[in-house]
Amino acid sequence: MEISNSCSSYSSSSVDSTKPCPSESSVNLSLSLTFPSTSLQREARQDWPPIKPLLRDTLKGRRLHRRGDDSSFFVKVYMEGVPIGRKLDLCAFSGYESLLENLSHMFGTSIICGNRHRKHHVLTYQDKDGDWMMVGDIPWEMFLETVRRLKITRPEKC
Amino acid sequence: MGLPLPSKVLEHILSFIDSNEDRNSVSLVCKSWFDTERRTRKRVFVGNCYSVSPVTVSRRFPKMRSLTLKGKPHFADYNLVPDGWGGYAWPWIEVLAKKNPLLEEIRLKRMVITDECLEMIAASFKEFKALVLVSCEGFTTDGIAAIAATCRNLEVLELRECIVEDLGGDWLSYFPESLTSLVSLDFSCLDSEVKLSDLERLVSRSPNLKSLKLNRAVTLEGLESLLRRAPQLTDLGTGSFSAEFEPEMFSKLSKAFAECKQLKSLSGLWDVIPEYLPALYSVCPGLTSLNLSYATVRMPDLVGILRRCWKLQKLWVMDLIEDKGLQTVAMRCKDLRELRVFPSEPDLDDVSVALTEEGLVTVSRSCRKLESILYFCVQFTNAALVTISRYRPNIKCFRLCVIEPFAPDHITREPLDEGFRAIVEGCKDLRRLSVSGLLTDKAFEYIGKHAKKVRMLSIAFAGDSDLMLHHLLSGCEGLKKLEIRDCPFGDSALLEHAAKLETMRSLWMSSCFVSFGACKVLSQKLPKLNVEVIDEMYPPESRPENSPVERIYIYRTLAGPRLDMPEFVWTIHKNPEVGVSNLAIK
Repeated sequence: MEISNSCSSYSSSSVDSTKPCPSESSVNLSLSLTFPSTSLQREARQDWPPIKPLLRDTLKGRRLHRRGDDSSFFVKVYMEGVPIGRKLDLCAFSGYESLLENLSHMFGTSIICGNRHRKHHVLTYQDKDGDWMMVGDIPWEMFLETVRRLKITRPEKC
Repeated sequence: MGLPLPSKVLEHILSFIDSNEDRNSVSLVCKSWFDTERRTRKRVFVGNCYSVSPVTVSRRFPKMRSLTLKGKPHFADYNLVPDGWGGYAWPWIEVLAKKNPLLEEIRLKRMVITDECLEMIAASFKEFKALVLVSCEGFTTDGIAAIAATCRNLEVLELRECIVEDLGGDWLSYFPESLTSLVSLDFSCLDSEVKLSDLERLVSRSPNLKSLKLNRAVTLEGLESLLRRAPQLTDLGTGSFSAEFEPEMFSKLSKAFAECKQLKSLSGLWDVIPEYLPALYSVCPGLTSLNLSYATVRMPDLVGILRRCWKLQKLWVMDLIEDKGLQTVAMRCKDLRELRVFPSEPDLDDVSVALTEEGLVTVSRSCRKLESILYFCVQFTNAALVTISRYRPNIKCFRLCVIEPFAPDHITREPLDEGFRAIVEGCKDLRRLSVSGLLTDKAFEYIGKHAKKVRMLSIAFAGDSDLMLHHLLSGCEGLKKLEIRDCPFGDSALLEHAAKLETMRSLWMSSCFVSFGACKVLSQKLPKLNVEVIDEMYPPESRPENSPVERIYIYRTLAGPRLDMPEFVWTIHKNPEVGVSNLAIK
């Protein structure tokens, strides 16, 4: 991948050598003339490619569940009282119903969404802001964008 | 000379002239024409809010009914202009409220407008009809509530891509029951949920409502209910087009869309799931404009929609459409005039989409009316650019963003100089051009020589030396706006062609090698222009003459130096000893 020529070109002969050269010893204010080579550096860029803030934000929210060939998104699931968590591919489910069915199977007990219930376990999730919410409160697609972890609570706790 | 035209006759003649360009020409003929024209101009356009003072505009056009203002430079859209730079609406609103109380319409782009401004608008203009804010910021939903509550004849309220401090969805309930004049409502950029029942009632009592753009928080159910109440809509922006698939919902939605027989333009479609897309099929044949830039569905689903849109003139879509999808567009959308393809993955490492230069070539070949292009693509070739220019000499706007900076022709490894040469040589009516990819000074020699009608030119990560700027400023006869970032040129071309800047509206340069000393010289050479040095890292006065500045913004102005410059903006008018000049900004 090329980020080659820009840095060296301005000290080439095509530039008038009597003009002051951009200083290399003082603080390099021309840092941005080279394009960052690692994706970590690039992630920090808010100004390239030239897309508007609303589109940029929408895409950021999408990124986590569109990695690679868009076929998997794993989150950790814990049940209260059980020290070992499980990993779950949320892309394998078409919606909340199939998610719940699967979880109920996995943990061998009935799990529900939404309403608190004295007898049943309730599924909650931690969103990208770190808050714990009831699963099922937003459309599935939006849920996929914001969910980070799942937790199955003991009945009376909710 | 014969007898002069009686002014009443001249007034009548001028009433047929809408275009401000023509009116500007009219006003240059002689003093009486200037006078008659200014008294009759209703729609006033100010392309740079700092180019003229509000008082001057207000005085010149006493019958003004509509004012359009643009504030920040275009690159502010990409976070290149620091917060607090300027572009405040207040000074304008303050003057207009006093002097032009019959104002009906305010349209602002890239400006900072506060709740107080909005309240003043609501309170001062009794006949106020239309507020359109594009890419603006500085206000909250409280300000919008003030407009909703007070403007009794409101017809248009559009918030397009604004950054609004969202205090909740209450603002909508401030529209009084007596307001029945609404024609267009766009709150697509707001986050909070509005009360559906309030929205339903508002829509039901607005028989003239033609354009409705909902925000993401409006559900499919909400959409269906609203569509039933407004089948006369011509422009629709949906909310979130997502829910667990239910056949009942699907059929209700399909029915509701089928009733919208006048729908021409469709947008929104956030989170759209493929299963619900067929609900749109009935409106597709009538659509002339389709904005799918938030619809992250895959190519097969996009094709399902697009193959039915045979009247489409404007298409905005993500690169998920891929070359294959663009083939469908080429085949079915023969009336296409404008195509924009946006990147679905801004991080270069993750690009895995099969969209190449071939997609654009295919569409250019088949869509004879195609004249406006914005295309984001990882790489490009000279051959593709040449082909595009050969098939579409009628292109007026060509913006290519090769996402990988300095990317050469991916087959020949050459710079894209020859490709862009073909574009500017072949497309003689080109008005707007954005270049990218690996470009040497040669590319700019071609652009300078052939792009005679280009008014706006955008350049990033290109060129080798000062020659590049020299070519542009000594050519490009029609150039009005030039914006450049991250290019390795310095002072000489800029100083040599300083006079050219007086013929342009503005020049923006960031991350180049223009020195502070050169800025000072330019300021002295061009007293009719504001030469702004915008530098957050070092106060310009403290730096040595030959150190490069972060950003420069130069523009024509009749208003002299602006009084609202923040600390990080310097012009020659600032006296370093005295300190930063200040204005209390409301």
